[in-house]
Amino acid sequence: MTNLAIQIKGLTKIYPPDNRAVDTLDLEIKEGEIMALLGPNGAGKSTTIRAASTLCGFDEGNVVVSGFDVDTHSLEVRQAIGVVAQQTGIDYFLTGRENMVLQGHLYRMNKADINARIDELAGYFELDSSIDNLVSTYSGGMRRKLDIACALIHRPKILFLDEPTLGLDIKNRKILWKHIDQLNKEFGLTILLTTHYLEEADSLSHQVAIINNGKVQVVDTPNALKNSIHGDSITVTFDDVGKNEQAFFHYAQQQSYIKGSTWEDNKLHLYVEDGGANVAALMAVASDNNAQIANLSLSRPTLDDVFLKYTGSSILDTKEDEGDEWWKQWAGKGGNTGKWKSQWGANDSNAEEGDEDQAWKNSDWAKSNDNGENLGAQKREEAQSQQGAWSEGQQWSKQKDDNTADEQGSQQWGQSQQGDWQNNEWNKNKDGGEK
Amino acid sequence: MLADTWHLFNKYMRITMRMPMWTLFTLIQPLIWLLIFGQLFKDFVQLGDEDYMAFMVPGILVMTVLFGSSWSGVSLLREITAGTVDKMLVSPVSRIAIVLSRVLHSSAQVIAQAFIMLLVAWILGATLNMNPLYLMMAMLIVFLLGVGFAALSNGFAIALQREEPLVMIGNLMTLPLIFFSSALVPEQFMPDWIQLISAANPISYAVDAIRAVLSTTPDMAVFGKGLLVLTLFAGASLAWAVTAFNALRD
Repeated sequence: MTNLAIQIKGLTKIYPPDNRAVDTLDLEIKEGEIMALLGPNGAGKSTTIRAASTLCGFDEGNVVVSGFDVDTHSLEVRQAIGVVAQQTGIDYFLTGRENMVLQGHLYRMNKADINARIDELAGYFELDSSIDNLVSTYSGGMRRKLDIACALIHRPKILFLDEPTLGLDIKNRKILWKHIDQLNKEFGLTILLTTHYLEEADSLSHQVAIINNGKVQVVDTPNALKNSIHGDSITVTFDDVGKNEQAFFHYAQQQSYIKGSTWEDNKLHLYVEDGGANVAALMAVASDNNAQIANLSLSRPTLDDVFLKYTGSSILDTKEDEGDEWWKQWAGKGGNTGKWKSQWGANDSNAEEGDEDQAWKNSDWAKSNDNGENLGAQKREEAQSQQGAWSEGQQWSKQKDDNTADEQGSQQWGQSQQGDWQNNEWNKNKDGGEK
Repeated sequence: MLADTWHLFNKYMRITMRMPMWTLFTLIQPLIWLLIFGQLFKDFVQLGDEDYMAFMVPGILVMTVLFGSSWSGVSLLREITAGTVDKMLVSPVSRIAIVLSRVLHSSAQVIAQAFIMLLVAWILGATLNMNPLYLMMAMLIVFLLGVGFAALSNGFAIALQREEPLVMIGNLMTLPLIFFSSALVPEQFMPDWIQLISAANPISYAVDAIRAVLSTTPDMAVFGKGLLVLTLFAGASLAWAVTAFNALRD
C-alpha cells in the first residue's frame, strides 16, 4: 500500500472578518506522486501550500506532511520539504553558489555535503557555467531553476511549487517541466504544485485537484477528468446574449446529441456527442432561432472544460494571482487581527467586492440555465413567451425589446454561416482535436 | 541560533560589501551637519575653552547611527515582499536569528560609518581623544545604540507593515530625538522641560557616554551609566522586535 506524503483533513483558514480562504479542504497526495492544484484567483491554492509548508497557521483541520503534524512538528516538516514560492526568494546580489551555500547552512548541512550537492544540482539544472555569477545577471528561467535547486539542497522528500513557471516564456517553461518530471521519475520526489497553465497540469501531474471557494471540487487523473466531459466541446460566442440566443440555447439543450452545457459570460460551452457530425445540425437550430453567433469552435474536451464545469469560469480568463499582502499570508490562527492590520485590511475588503459581483453573475447565469432546462419540450412560441421570466435581472433583458438588433443579428448570422467559422476556426479546432 | 545568526549576518555583510555606496550615501546628511552646522554654530555656542566641533562630534556620531539604523526595517519589508524571508522561514533556521542577524548587520554598518565620521572630524581639526581603547569604548556605545534603533526599526516594520509609514515615523522621530538630547547643545542650555525629556532619551546617555570617552579627560562614571542604560535599551528593543516578528505567526 502506498503511503501518503501529504494528508490534509478539514483545513480551514479564516481571514477577518469571515473570509474563508480555505474551507474544510481535504486532500491526499501519495508518495512519489505529482499533484497539481488548479483554481481561479483566491481559490485557496497558495494558502493550502503555505499551511502545509508551515508558512502560515490555520484555524481548523489537520495537516500531516511526511508523517508529521505541521502544527506540532513543524521542524521535522521543514526538514522533509522544499518550497519554491511564487516570488523567487533568492538574493540577486549573491552568486548562485552563495545562495545555495546559505540555504545549505540554514538546513544545518556540513560544508563538504553542501559543496557536493551544489555540484550535483548545478549540473542537473545546467547552471554549472553560471553558478559563480551574481544572480542579478541570470535570466528569469535561470533564477527559477536556481530557486528550485536551493529548495532541493537538503534532499527533501516533498517539493511544493507555487506557480513554478509563472512569468516564464514557453521555451523556459518546457525546460522546467522536463526537470520537474525527471525529479519525480528519477528521485521519486513527491510534488505538490499550483498552476494556471492547463498544459502544465495536464502533462506533468498524476492527479489534478480543482479548487474553488477554498474547497476541493474534484480530484482525479487529467485523463479521467477530461473523459468526464462527454463528447466534444463546442464553444459558441455571441456578441450579445438576447432572446434569440436564449431561445437557441433552450432548443439546443433539447437535442439528443447535447450532453451538457455551461455559460461563461457571452460564451456558451456545449458538450456534444460526435461534434463533427452534429455541428451542422446545431447551426440549423441557431439559424431557426436567428441567434447571432460571433464565433464557433469545436475541439476535444480539455482540462479547461473540466475547470469550467467545476468553477463556472475558464482558467484562460483568470488573471495571474497577485497574492495577498504578506501579513495576510503570514497570519496565524484567526488571521492575527490587530489595529494596523484591520486598518490596511479595509482596503482589501473593498477590492474583493468586484469578485463577489462576478460570482453573483455566474450564479445568476446558472439560474438561467436551470430555467431553460425546466421549460421542457415546448413550442417555440411558448418558449419566447416565457423568456420574459428569464429576463429578470439578466443581461438578455437589455435587448429584449430590441427588434432592430434581432434583424441585424439575423443578417450577421447569415454572414457568419458562410464566413470565417466554417473555413477557419472550426476546421482548425477540428484538426487540433483529431491530433 | 548563533550559527544561523552568523550565516545570515555573513550574507548581509557580503551584500553590503558589494554595494559600498549605499553605506556611504547615508553619511551625506550627518556630514552636512558636521560641515555646515558645526561651522555655523561654533561661534554661537559658548563652551569656555572647549572646542564646539569636539563637543558636536559625539552628537553627529549618534545622528549617524539614527540615520543608518532606521533603514533596517525598510529592508526587512523588502525582503519579505521579495520572498527571501519566506525562503528562510520554510527552513529550520532560528526565528530569533532572522531578526538578530539583521540588527547586528545594521550595527556593524553604523560602526563603519561612525569611524568614517570620526576621521572626517579629526581631519577638520576636532580635538578628540584618539586613544584606541577609548575609541573602542565609544564604538561599543555606537554599537548598542545601533542595535536598539535597528531593532526598533524592525519591530515597527512588522507592526506598521508598510514602507511608507515606517519611513515617515523614522523621519519624524530622528530630529526630535536629536534635539531633545545633549547631542548638539549642552544640557545647561536647555529649558527645564527639554531637560526632563532629555533625561528619558537614550540618545542623551549615548552622547554623554561617547563624549565622556572621546574627551581629553575621560569620565568613566558617565560612560558606565551610559553603557548600562544603552544595554537595557538595546536588550528591550531587541526583545520587542523578536516578539513582534514571532507574533505574526503561530
